[in-house]
Amino acid sequence: MKRYLPFVIIILVLVVALGAGWYLTRTPAESPAASTAPSAARSSASPTANRSASNEPGALPPHTIGPPDAPVTLEEFGDFECPPCALLHPVLKTMEREFGPRLQVIFREFPLVPTHPHALAAARAAEAAGLQRKFWEMHDLLYENQKAWHDAFDVRPIFESYATRIGLDLEQFRKDNTNEIVERRIFLDGKRAHALGVKGTPTVFLNGREVPFESLAPEKLRVLINVELAGAQK
Amino acid sequence: MFYVAAALVSLLGLADAIYLTVEHISGRSVRCMILSGCSEVLSSPYATIRGVPLALIGAASYFMAFSLATLAAFGYHLAAKLLIALVTLMFLTTLWLLYLQAFVIGSFCQFCLLSAALTLILTALVAIALRQKLPPDKVFD
Repeated sequence: MKRYLPFVIIILVLVVALGAGWYLTRTPAESPAASTAPSAARSSASPTANRSASNEPGALPPHTIGPPDAPVTLEEFGDFECPPCALLHPVLKTMEREFGPRLQVIFREFPLVPTHPHALAAARAAEAAGLQRKFWEMHDLLYENQKAWHDAFDVRPIFESYATRIGLDLEQFRKDNTNEIVERRIFLDGKRAHALGVKGTPTVFLNGREVPFESLAPEKLRVLINVELAGAQK
Repeated sequence: MFYVAAALVSLLGLADAIYLTVEHISGRSVRCMILSGCSEVLSSPYATIRGVPLALIGAASYFMAFSLATLAAFGYHLAAKLLIALVTLMFLTTLWLLYLQAFVIGSFCQFCLLSAALTLILTALVAIALRQKLPPDKVFD
């Protein structure tokens, strides 16, 4: 019996390892498919059943593109220093172009501070630009030039050059970087993120329901938005 | 005794590598997380060899190490010898991967570092076991 014992142990471990691997890869693949089908039905039945109506509204008013009464709202929790967020940026731009007035896009600050040393500075720069009504201009520059400032030691001169480029009052921008309103907006967006259980970036909510990360590709996101639009028309 | 410890460390490595493989395949790791940091490592071109996730190769290696260490613990001399070769290979690979994370990709991934630590422990255990006199070979009893 003892002769076979090591082989029994090895085979047992192999079975458990394969089983665990199989189980773990299967579950995430099934859950999005299972959740999208009933959710489409739910949105047409009761448009008010919206998870974005959380107790934490986030910074008010939020930064938006598109009309507030658009049938579809995409809410992104983003970090300007996060590489996958920068990759999502052109995808959301495409959706804004394609769906026009039928789509509203909201941006929420969710700087992952210990992971990204410049994330908070970038969030402040965007919010400070927002005080001069140029939030989206700064937002675009930060995402599009992420690689240029990601590894910089001091990002301040870089962000100030962006501020000049989009025509901000530079003195005011400098002052606003430490403005209480700026801090408060980032804090409130963070509170909303925690209330919604956001653990990473980018996290996107489509009419209040979290979009699985693998569905953030343009062709998949387009289908999801169309499902919501079809639901809203009924 | 050291082989039993080596087998247990390999089991931890196996679990870690399975986790990394699942993260890699599911694409979840491509998001930036509050705790585990970013995905630069798993989404880098170094994370696959000809399309095979490196984590999967790691899982296979840890499974091999576990099997050989278990056999060695039961007194199979050949397994002990093969284990030395395998662990040497894993050790060198780990050094290469640490180099890639530190100097090429420029960011670390926590579960990759855990794997590196486990391989270092495994190397130490096998090195110590090598100095011990092996019990009589079970194959010929």
